[in-house]
Amino acid sequence: MKFGLFYELSTPRPFTTENQRAVIENAIEQTVLADELGFSSVWCVEHHFLEEYSHSSCPDMFLTAVARATRNIRVGFGIGTCVPAMHSPIRWAEKAAFLDLLSNGRVEFGTGRSSTWNELGGFNAVVDDTKRTWDEYCRVIPKMWTEERFSYEGTYFSMPERCVLPKPMQDPHPPLWVAVTAPGTEFDAADRGMGALILSIADVERNVPRIQEYRERIKRCEPVGAFVNDQVAIANWMYCHPDDAFAKQRGEELIATFGYMAGQTVEVSEAYPANNYSALGLLGSLRPDPNAPGEAKKPPASGLCFGDPDALVETISRWQAAGADHLIFMVQAREHLPQADVLESMRLFAREVMPHFSDSGRKVAVGA
Amino acid sequence: MSGAAALLYGNRAADDIALAATPLDTAAGDTVVIEDVEILYVLYEMSMASALERLPASLHPSVPALFGFTFMRAPGGPLGAFTIAWHGIACRTGIKPRHLVQGAFCNSTQAGDFFASRYGFACRSAEVGLRETFDRVRGHVEVDGTTLIDVAITESLPLVGAGALIKYSPPLNGTTLAGGPALVQFEAGYDFKRVLRGRPRLAAFAAAELGDAGLAPTHPIAGSHAVVDLHLMPARFQVDLVTPAEAGGARKIAR
Repeated sequence: MKFGLFYELSTPRPFTTENQRAVIENAIEQTVLADELGFSSVWCVEHHFLEEYSHSSCPDMFLTAVARATRNIRVGFGIGTCVPAMHSPIRWAEKAAFLDLLSNGRVEFGTGRSSTWNELGGFNAVVDDTKRTWDEYCRVIPKMWTEERFSYEGTYFSMPERCVLPKPMQDPHPPLWVAVTAPGTEFDAADRGMGALILSIADVERNVPRIQEYRERIKRCEPVGAFVNDQVAIANWMYCHPDDAFAKQRGEELIATFGYMAGQTVEVSEAYPANNYSALGLLGSLRPDPNAPGEAKKPPASGLCFGDPDALVETISRWQAAGADHLIFMVQAREHLPQADVLESMRLFAREVMPHFSDSGRKVAVGA
Repeated sequence: MSGAAALLYGNRAADDIALAATPLDTAAGDTVVIEDVEILYVLYEMSMASALERLPASLHPSVPALFGFTFMRAPGGPLGAFTIAWHGIACRTGIKPRHLVQGAFCNSTQAGDFFASRYGFACRSAEVGLRETFDRVRGHVEVDGTTLIDVAITESLPLVGAGALIKYSPPLNGTTLAGGPALVQFEAGYDFKRVLRGRPRLAAFAAAELGDAGLAPTHPIAGSHAVVDLHLMPARFQVDLVTPAEAGGARKIAR
């Protein structure tokens, strides 16, 4: 089991220079500490127009800052959006390779397609095509990295022969991942030989069949990259404190803060009915219970890592038994917690929880 | 962007929210089932400033701000044949998407009374139509020969499987509950039989005649036309009008 950090860069109103800079600087300080403590990876989302919830519109820039401030921790796109209205696949290949050089070969490349009307509508994207454009991007980006010169005639993307530069440092290329929110996307990951970055936080037991099915299907995959990245990472929350009740209370506050922010966004399925967006995305799945009034709130998911060190060892052991390879933690929401408390939580986690998982070193990549 | 509110919620005074004149019947009635109801549901974006001006402090806006039209046409059944229409602004109470109704119309006294007493709809009597033709599904509202709303979807495509389960945001209506003002939530279930999604076309939106000259749908998003078996259940949830959104949320109606 390996441990990482996951950043949305949620920012409290008002969106002053001070507030915006504090979020970014605090996050970078956390990643520097994580590097020193032996966390294995830092992941950063790409989101647009998600007021408060995520101001992380340029994950490549954040990850570059992290890479230059750290030595060993890996830097992951969590994810890069594979939608033509937002990015050309050429630009993703270039940015990831450039960061791979800047970071001395520490890039993890996650892919996805967005699940909000805020973003897809804001870019005037063709909502019905996102699954297919994602698929095409996944197939061409690794070839841009591994082939000296690349040309392609596709459905949503074409280019004449060019040398896409630079080439990444990792040989043959950075590991490929897929953001998994809607049920069934883990199959898409497995069929393509890509890692599953599971963003639908839930009870451990509910993820067991997903992970098992992923493991079975990836044995028969047709990899889109030059190697199979057979890994499952689970996005999660973490707050560790000697007082278990206090930690759990803090955790509930983080979830409530996240729910407030997520609740205001507009899921694609709410605004634009489409066959390729029939399920709720991460935002919807994290809402405590959209159909219940206050007195009937659903209890928090059992797999959340809020508690004292003993409680976290027990929870993480269950994730490990379920087959997860990585837990990637959100440790803050809208700067709700004081930065000192976040850093102390990480230190306690590294001191008293990580040693129970002997392979929790920082080498994430397979085939790198 | 300094100067923005610490939290984003409506700023309309609670006593400026229109309350239905018809008393809400909070008795636990039976679920009314109507077969083969057509529903036209069309969403537009609107300006955030405009949405915030019209939502009370107990409601968050959606981001981006959305404006929705709903038409329901029942060919017959327990309430007789009727067509009802309402338009509203997307909002959140806590975490659930809802729409705050800005106006409602019905072409049947029997159905209008039912929707008023059970869900707080303050329906104006009007000529309300919902019709599917070869190239569009059109909903329109006319009062005294003046077209107030004329909205349609065109270039429609069928939706299948889970994609055909339209996620209607339940409307909220201003009403009086237990002697005080409140918002009550429309409570319905839908068995989908056929669903189309199309491109919105707004031929008429007479804002001034609708009673709010500043109200304006802007960017079209999508519309759907569904044929459903409609289950009209007793209202279950109410929302406070004055408790700030972050401390409020929905609660069950006391019976």
